[in-house]
Amino acid sequence: MKRFTRIFTVVVFLFLYLPMIVLAVASFNKGSDIGAFTGFTFRQYGELFRDSTLLPLLGNSIIIAVVAALISTILGTMAAVGIHNMRRRPQAMAMALTNIPMTNPDIVTGVSLALLFAFAGVMLRRNSIMGFGTLLIAHITFDMPYVILSVMPKLTQMDPDLEEAALDLGCTPVKAFFRVVIHEIMPGIISGALMAFTMSLDDFVISYFVYGPNFVTLPVEIYNYTKKPLQPKIYALFTLLFLVILLLMVLMNLLQLRDARQRQIRKGGAS
Amino acid sequence: MAKELIRLQNVSMQFDGETVLDNISLTINDHEFLTLLGPSGCGKTTTLRIIGGFQTPTSGDVFFDGARINDVPPYRRKINTVFQKYALFPHLDVYDNIAFGLRVSKLPEPEVDRRVMEMLEIVSLRGFQNRKVTSLSGGQQQRVAIARALVNQPKVLLLDEPLGALDMRLRKDMQNELKRIQQALEITFIYVTHDQEEALAMSDTVVVMDKGCIQQIGSPVSIYNEPENAFVADFIGESNILDGIMRKDYEVEFFGHRYQCLDKGFAKNEPVDVVIRPEDIDIVPPGGGYLSATVTNVIFKGTFYDTFVDVGDFKWLIQTTDFHEIGDVIGISLDPDAIHVMKKSQYSEQFGDYSSYSAEYDEMEEDPEGEADEE
Repeated sequence: MKRFTRIFTVVVFLFLYLPMIVLAVASFNKGSDIGAFTGFTFRQYGELFRDSTLLPLLGNSIIIAVVAALISTILGTMAAVGIHNMRRRPQAMAMALTNIPMTNPDIVTGVSLALLFAFAGVMLRRNSIMGFGTLLIAHITFDMPYVILSVMPKLTQMDPDLEEAALDLGCTPVKAFFRVVIHEIMPGIISGALMAFTMSLDDFVISYFVYGPNFVTLPVEIYNYTKKPLQPKIYALFTLLFLVILLLMVLMNLLQLRDARQRQIRKGGAS
Repeated sequence: MAKELIRLQNVSMQFDGETVLDNISLTINDHEFLTLLGPSGCGKTTTLRIIGGFQTPTSGDVFFDGARINDVPPYRRKINTVFQKYALFPHLDVYDNIAFGLRVSKLPEPEVDRRVMEMLEIVSLRGFQNRKVTSLSGGQQQRVAIARALVNQPKVLLLDEPLGALDMRLRKDMQNELKRIQQALEITFIYVTHDQEEALAMSDTVVVMDKGCIQQIGSPVSIYNEPENAFVADFIGESNILDGIMRKDYEVEFFGHRYQCLDKGFAKNEPVDVVIRPEDIDIVPPGGGYLSATVTNVIFKGTFYDTFVDVGDFKWLIQTTDFHEIGDVIGISLDPDAIHVMKKSQYSEQFGDYSSYSAEYDEMEEDPEGEADEE
């Protein structure tokens, strides 16, 4: 039985990671034929870093991801605090409303945002307003629920007396937030920001509908590339992207682990 | 000396249509140690939170030093609070926790340092300043919480069941400590507890509350000796509460016997509640015109016996140092000052008969349920 579960686990992980392994192997392949590994090389990586179109695109993607994550973290945290202070019924409703966009199919979100921006463009009497601004707004829109969702539990776990203690000791509500509450919910804010960043970085569907000719993100442009035969240096790029996301996820898990351990210690000390 | 500091005037509080405080009026004097005492859900914590500014009364007014403070937020009140579960800031060490309020009000750092160190001395935590608050024991956290509040030199300190989470011995120590600090610093303490012993031991004034109403205000001695109704008599200590009739001033009748008492001012033949404390009852040989009783149960309590007796169909509790066998018939003698007469109230008939008494049951009831208190 034990052997069976072990084999099963290996199969599941193979199934999950085999595509990435194939991609990574392909990125080190000397030949360009995916069917035959003809020798190990870093050539594709070298070419990638000399490429004058792909790297700026990666830059675009990172800029959008960082700015969107930053803004959605601030807005999302504010929203979470507001929702947390609501009475029970409106609170349940607000949470349901923030959850819907996450389950909404990306393509629906993308098309509806595109329509909205087109409409706004008409209102502003402009030909098209698609570009950095629309991409950013779209990314903030789908990032924010993730931030709210990761900050919310921290707020509910927090001892409500802590905030009152800060008020009691002379803090205005705003001061109380920055001096006390934010320290308590920081793990949630950080994991929310990381989640938002990765969501933004790898978003293709929604971006595809709202990008403009002046500002394109990497996944969108790569999709355009795939209409032609794919260049092997793209494998190298994907492998790197995968590693970055993997690293972020590991970091997030480590943070959560540390947070859980601290909570444990705190509980032990208080008794 | 008795200068008024805080006054609650006809204060009521409703949560979602439920009345938590019902028209409370209360005056608190400067330098007083006042305790709000009552069972869970009696409104004592809500009263404290209204004084602290964390809740605004639905109706009625709160005055501080003569000024109405209903709408003054907590951070502008010269009042500090020691929270039930301490609410220390886990991201700060002991020193920074205590310095928190001083730094918020932007005191110069040397002054902050002087006062924090002085406070550490007062709560006997010198040498602990760099410890993480999460590494402290319950009693030490308690002291930090007190220091953090007192360092701001408030006019009033609010304490919400601050000793609830401590074990018995530590509680006793901290009671003495708190009383000492209160007297040394001459600060008004408003203390919330459901523990009557704690209330009697520490307070200048005890306010007994139940169901959102004040049942009695008085010194510990007067609350114990002259309870105003059956609830107070039952909640403060053990009491036998019987039906009686006030025949005339200084004379009350129950169980067919007339007794001399110290109470007057009732209508002729007015039905009343009579309170007799278990330790005030003298056991005498039966007969000779005394009320006679049959011993039904005896529990050894260390310094005395809880002796349960039947008088007719009413079960009394007597606390005595003499042992009596179950089944013994005894006589009950009552001095005039053992008999306390109270007006009938909504609490009449609810308390005072020991037929359903069991020591375990009593302890269960007195268990701290502070966490779920109100809200």
